[in-house]
Amino acid sequence: MDRRHFLKQSTLASSLFFVPNFVKAFENMSATGLGYKRLVIIQLAGGNDGLNTIIPFNNDVYYRNRPTIGIQKSDLIKATDELGFHSNLLPLKELYDQGYLTIINNVGYPNPNRSHFRSTDIWQTASSSNQYLQTGWIGRYLDNYGNKSYNAIEIDDSLSLALKGQNINGIATKNPRVLFRTSQDPYFKNVLKHYQDEHLSEHNLGYLYKTMIAAESSAKYIFEKHKTARNKQEYPNNAFANQLKTTSKLINSGIETKVFYSSLGGFDTHAGQLNQQSRLLKIYAEGINAFVSDLKQQGTFNDTLILTFSEFGRRVKQNAANGTDHGAANNVFIIGNQLKTPGFFNDLSSLSNLDDNGDLKYTVDFRSIYATILSSWLSIDDKSILNKSFSKLDFI
Amino acid sequence: MKQQDIQHLYWRAGFGATPNQLKNLSAMDKHQVVDALFQNSSSSTPLEIDTTEIERFTVKSVYKDKSKRREFVKISNQKLKVLNTFWVNRMVTTEALLREKMTLFWANHFVCRGNNIFYVQQYNNTLRNHALGNFGDFVKAISKEATMLKYLNNKQNRKRKPNENFARELMELFTLGEGHYTEEDIKESAKAFTGYSHNFEGEFVLRKFQHDYDFKTFFGHTGRYDGDDIIDMILEQKQCARFICRKIYSYFVNDIINENRVEELATVFYKDYNIKSLMRHLFMSDWFYSEKNIGSKIKSPIDFLVGMIRTVPVEFEKPQDVIKIQKLLGQILLNPPNVAGWKGGKSWIDSNTIMLRLKLPSIILANAKISIKEKGDFEDSFETYYSKKKKNKFVTTAIDWETFETACSSFSFDDLKQQLVIPELSEGTATYVKTLSQNSKRNFCVQLMSLPEYQMC
Repeated sequence: MDRRHFLKQSTLASSLFFVPNFVKAFENMSATGLGYKRLVIIQLAGGNDGLNTIIPFNNDVYYRNRPTIGIQKSDLIKATDELGFHSNLLPLKELYDQGYLTIINNVGYPNPNRSHFRSTDIWQTASSSNQYLQTGWIGRYLDNYGNKSYNAIEIDDSLSLALKGQNINGIATKNPRVLFRTSQDPYFKNVLKHYQDEHLSEHNLGYLYKTMIAAESSAKYIFEKHKTARNKQEYPNNAFANQLKTTSKLINSGIETKVFYSSLGGFDTHAGQLNQQSRLLKIYAEGINAFVSDLKQQGTFNDTLILTFSEFGRRVKQNAANGTDHGAANNVFIIGNQLKTPGFFNDLSSLSNLDDNGDLKYTVDFRSIYATILSSWLSIDDKSILNKSFSKLDFI
Repeated sequence: MKQQDIQHLYWRAGFGATPNQLKNLSAMDKHQVVDALFQNSSSSTPLEIDTTEIERFTVKSVYKDKSKRREFVKISNQKLKVLNTFWVNRMVTTEALLREKMTLFWANHFVCRGNNIFYVQQYNNTLRNHALGNFGDFVKAISKEATMLKYLNNKQNRKRKPNENFARELMELFTLGEGHYTEEDIKESAKAFTGYSHNFEGEFVLRKFQHDYDFKTFFGHTGRYDGDDIIDMILEQKQCARFICRKIYSYFVNDIINENRVEELATVFYKDYNIKSLMRHLFMSDWFYSEKNIGSKIKSPIDFLVGMIRTVPVEFEKPQDVIKIQKLLGQILLNPPNVAGWKGGKSWIDSNTIMLRLKLPSIILANAKISIKEKGDFEDSFETYYSKKKKNKFVTTAIDWETFETACSSFSFDDLKQQLVIPELSEGTATYVKTLSQNSKRNFCVQLMSLPEYQMC
């Protein structure tokens, strides 16, 4: 929403100058133009090793390159004749069996960047590898189709680039109660009470007040919505599961939030990968399992799509420290019950025909996945968000 | 010089004037104030942390032994955090305000990120050394810095297989801006930088067998150019002066660009690319002090944090907390988001950062409590509100209120307001501030710092 539009709305709705009316005007605008479908994005931060997540157990090249960290046939859950799940992904394999999971192999982009920061930026902004965008793809979605910060929520303490738009940003909260309490500080409330509409026309200062009012209003809305819902499923006791628990609560409250964003870190496994990754995959799979089951029990799984990605995969060849170094293309998981191609969307790239760096070559541009989700799931014009047209994939 | 003008100058050229500085400077005229600013920044003191712990590592030990390498990376990462907090402390305590502010500016221009403490520290000091020097020398020095050679892949730029990353950013982000060169210019200039590399100590090395000594055609000229030649040819374009001055204007004057002023600055700068002369011209201009420029900018997280601690000296028990605050506010020193740097302006502020910013003065200075007892109001509802809250300490600090109180002992509450809050308060806010109890300067200071207006400079 631009400032002029905002001003118009607020002056129409309020003939007085003081804030309460003004905040009210904010509350009364509905999130029109947004569908009812929701997207939950999960980043496995640090570069998850896709080859030890979904394992090509019939491939000699795999075992040759990974003499000590390759996962043995006997120690995994077979899905096809070629590929199997890591043994800690049993809950995910169950979703696969029920047709709720699509695995897209070899997802990446041209000229991959192997820095965590840079590659995360690329995934979060949907830029090319030589392009530096200052807005995220969800932020641009908010700019074009949203009108409130809480149309996209990050379950964290601070906001990622993914949710930063040109005119409107998403909002971050790990705990709606804490966010609400912060926003209800009596001092701020007093400052807002004494604030005048006419100041909104000012350049930067007006923007501060506008953001403050929006923050207060969003925090209140999120908290009140959040209070009305309950989880119908036990969740494991860890930070990641807690993020999903909060997400589920918000979804089931009927909040006008279309995109949720959260992440699970620790995947930068340069040394002693086996234990560390096993532990993380268990946390991931068990959390997802509880989340999906919660949504199903409350009838909201139909309208929820879960996208899981990592900023890059790992090098095919293991390193001397029983770990793996930064790689390129990786697998992406799509979870939902309206999938067109459940199971494996495509074959795994060759493990012998690698790029110059010894990494898997990508065959699917991640922006094609975004384009598909934007157009087929959120029913909006993907080009206006991605600034370019990407071919759509037939997975939803 | 008028107090408001001094404060304006000191916010843009530094991190705000302390009460003492304001007292001393108000008797001087503009010339003298600006002269003093430059005088204090005339020499450059390197920022150095103790690295003896990892100085014993040699090329051999690090590259031949993987466990050593891991140890090196680990210690280096810890040291980078130390360098971060040292840098913050430098900005808080320095006399060379302008040099430090310019260093911060250039760190967001020649954006770079690295994980080798030696290279990063050296880079940071290169920024500091050249901050007020000749821009051409500056760019040339940057092109030879170890951490930059690594960050923009120039180490992989070889005669047989040129890597264009550095050449592209050199023109797009460091000197000319998009649209003022062709793809062919990038290709040809990349050749001039082939073989640019560095040794383990971080010194520049030209790898002769990787350097392309052949002819290159750049901006219509042909010759056996090296990187320095390319930079000289870039500087001949007035666009380069314009590009830098535009950035200077938006950083030091106003987010809303006045093209005539930028052109005026560019003409000054183009003459000899002397950064000091450019900045002097800017700070001496009447238009710099015009009303619409005063209090019009949103402080960056670092400006905000450093400015606050300059007013009320604070020591953080855990240095890591300083980095935590930077992270939550969206600007971690030495860790820019990408080669384009922090966007600045409105992008500093979202629903989360605004709430944290307004709360931070009370978190750091007053145990998260903002005293809001209003004049003549004896109800204790707010006190109850706060006391009900769990004492969940976000940071632990030692606060030197005495320095603050001594410095502003001669100030009235109104003076204090004038000094801490740069933009005019709206009528409503001004009324509210008047209703606040004025029996403690400490409380009043925290209250003023918790106003949205305090975010402006």
